[in-house]
Amino acid sequence: MADSIFRKLRDGGEEGELAPALTIEETVVSPFALDVSCYLLANLSSSILAGKSKGLVLVTFSRSPSFYLQFLKQRGIVVSSSSKWIRVLDCYTDPLGWIDQPSTGVTEGPSLVKLNKCVSDLKRLFSSVIDAGREMVGDGKTRFSVAIDSVNELLRHSSMPLVSGLLTDLRSHAQVSSLFWSLNTDLHQEKVTNALEYISTMKANLEPFCPSPDGKRNALENLFLAHQDFGKGRFHVRFKLRKGRVRVMSEEYHVDQTGINLSPISSAESVIAATKSLIPKVHFNLQLSEKERVEKEKVVLPFEHQDHGKSTEIYDGRRTLADGKTEATPLSSGELQADVVSSGKGGEIIYFRDSDDEHPDSDEDPDDDLDI
Amino acid sequence: MAAPNVRTSSFSRNISVVSSSPQIPGLKCGPNGTTFISTGIRDLDRILGGGYPLGSLVMVMEDPEAPHHMDLLRTFMSQGLVNNQPLLYASPSKDPRGFLGTLPNPGSSKEDKPTAPDLDQGESLRIAWQYRKYMENQKSSIDDYSNDFDMRKPLERQFLAGRPIDCVSLLDSSDLSVAEDHCATFLSKFPRLCIISFLFDGHLLLFKLVNSSNIASIGRIAIQSFCSPLCEYSDKESEMLSFIRLLKSMLMVSNAVAIVTFPPSMLSPSSSTRLQHMADTLLSIKAIPDGDKELEKLLTGYKDINGFLNVHKVARINTQVPVILEAKTFSMSLKKRRFLALECLNQAPVDGSSGTSYGTSGSCSGSSKSGALDF
Repeated sequence: MADSIFRKLRDGGEEGELAPALTIEETVVSPFALDVSCYLLANLSSSILAGKSKGLVLVTFSRSPSFYLQFLKQRGIVVSSSSKWIRVLDCYTDPLGWIDQPSTGVTEGPSLVKLNKCVSDLKRLFSSVIDAGREMVGDGKTRFSVAIDSVNELLRHSSMPLVSGLLTDLRSHAQVSSLFWSLNTDLHQEKVTNALEYISTMKANLEPFCPSPDGKRNALENLFLAHQDFGKGRFHVRFKLRKGRVRVMSEEYHVDQTGINLSPISSAESVIAATKSLIPKVHFNLQLSEKERVEKEKVVLPFEHQDHGKSTEIYDGRRTLADGKTEATPLSSGELQADVVSSGKGGEIIYFRDSDDEHPDSDEDPDDDLDI
Repeated sequence: MAAPNVRTSSFSRNISVVSSSPQIPGLKCGPNGTTFISTGIRDLDRILGGGYPLGSLVMVMEDPEAPHHMDLLRTFMSQGLVNNQPLLYASPSKDPRGFLGTLPNPGSSKEDKPTAPDLDQGESLRIAWQYRKYMENQKSSIDDYSNDFDMRKPLERQFLAGRPIDCVSLLDSSDLSVAEDHCATFLSKFPRLCIISFLFDGHLLLFKLVNSSNIASIGRIAIQSFCSPLCEYSDKESEMLSFIRLLKSMLMVSNAVAIVTFPPSMLSPSSSTRLQHMADTLLSIKAIPDGDKELEKLLTGYKDINGFLNVHKVARINTQVPVILEAKTFSMSLKKRRFLALECLNQAPVDGSSGTSYGTSGSCSGSSKSGALDF
């Protein structure tokens, strides 16, 4: 299932649509967004090297570029300064331009890591991302992906509307094929998280295994369990589909030295269905299907014949229905006659008529006084 | 002794809807002196009791995961254009005019339209002979009031060209003054009779604001994604609230209807609740999870449903009597992939042999277990 995210990111969006965007959310109790980003990064890099996608621009905020290059090297992907498929925008080393650099006006041609000194100027950041991408793939139709290390840092320096404007501008740029970023939701108000989810098409979040809510455990045991369960939990993804539906997928994750491992859910407990809360009141379907309508036409009602002046066969509930809707298969269960009405969907109604016990005696007929 | 009353039946029919106003197409008289305009979706007109009343503010709460509020806006705007009603459209995109290209066209021929079972001729509805004389012909809905829109066909040029359509982009406005100006100038074209009594220095002064007893023309305002995080004013919640308050007060003295969609999760809970309170009609959209086995078992037609529409509040003007709806949640689907339909949620036929029981649906499905049905 994490593969499906990766595939969506690798394939990018369609012509004329905004690029797919992924938000990876982490919390204090499950701070593994970095591992997820690195996992996606490694996959994207290998697919670029395999020739399936074109380029990647990595904007680093919370870790230095050398961390990522080291990580890729560990995965067997060597990045040298002559690599044409990746560019790193370094917003980690000196985001606010505090360190004086003597040569600011000289650009040495295409280089792997570019220093960005003014993080709060988002327009400049946008143009440097696009320029870095264009350096790799040229100006034509080839597209590149963009990975933003952590949006928390961006939000520290700029307001929400500007950040969402930047992300949406990136998404709507013709040459950006996909985009992903990570966010620690505990550092911001809920509406910030909601705003970022609003502009993204996929949302991934990490949910730790909760310790058992057994009140009898003492605090030490809880601590031990929490420590043990620290690297494990559930990885949920919500995809926004085009028709307006939402696909929810889950996997289990397990973090260790090498990174994050994702596996399908092992235990039988299913995700709590939100369906019960969604449907407050469901009615019975009172519409008739075509078949049922035809059958309904066939039934002769008792009052109809009064006007026509002819007597018709009347269904009085005593005989089994012979035609169409029902297939009467009498069960031989002792002396009682039972009607089994099958509704065509596999369900059965087994009905034992009380009136079958008695003979249809006209003296006792309560409907005798009706003019039928 | 009174003369015997000649009555045809002991029940008197409660006529609440009079025939449509002869002056202007696209209007329908409603109870309590209100006038309705069509929402653009026939099912929604029926659910709301006629349509949107003039002078009301409709708010739609979006779900960030589903785009169905756009369909509500599209049908609203198309209906206005088909009925030749001026339109003001504001959205947080750079080019709002582009949205006009996605408006749907009215469904063309009779065969295309989904046919409801008709009850008029007496052949298909079989009633007892002595009651036939009370049978009233159910006319098909008046064609110039509302249309069925074909969501796949774009609106024809004749409806777009030469119509007064004003498009405003909310993207770059740091405060809402641009939007306020546009709304004020737009609404000043549709004034309505209004008397305000004013207490001044202990004396009661009566002001008759505008004197227009005939409805000259109707306006429609559509504001999309009002609290979108892309707009610069989205941080300023009190400004947004006062804009909506201003809009609502201008609407009360105009012959217009405004529909505003907003994502409630973009606001703080208190601001979201305040915005919801300001609405006369409140609807909300909810996305449906895909591939959900539980829902598939629970609902018929799950595969066709695109999302849910909840009706929280229905506008009641000039009356204190609230509307109690039979159902508040409706499924949005496309009939024949073209026509928007809103239907009550229907429970799927329960599979008797499997023996599952639905405890929470609130319907009598406990008899799903196979066995004798006790009557």
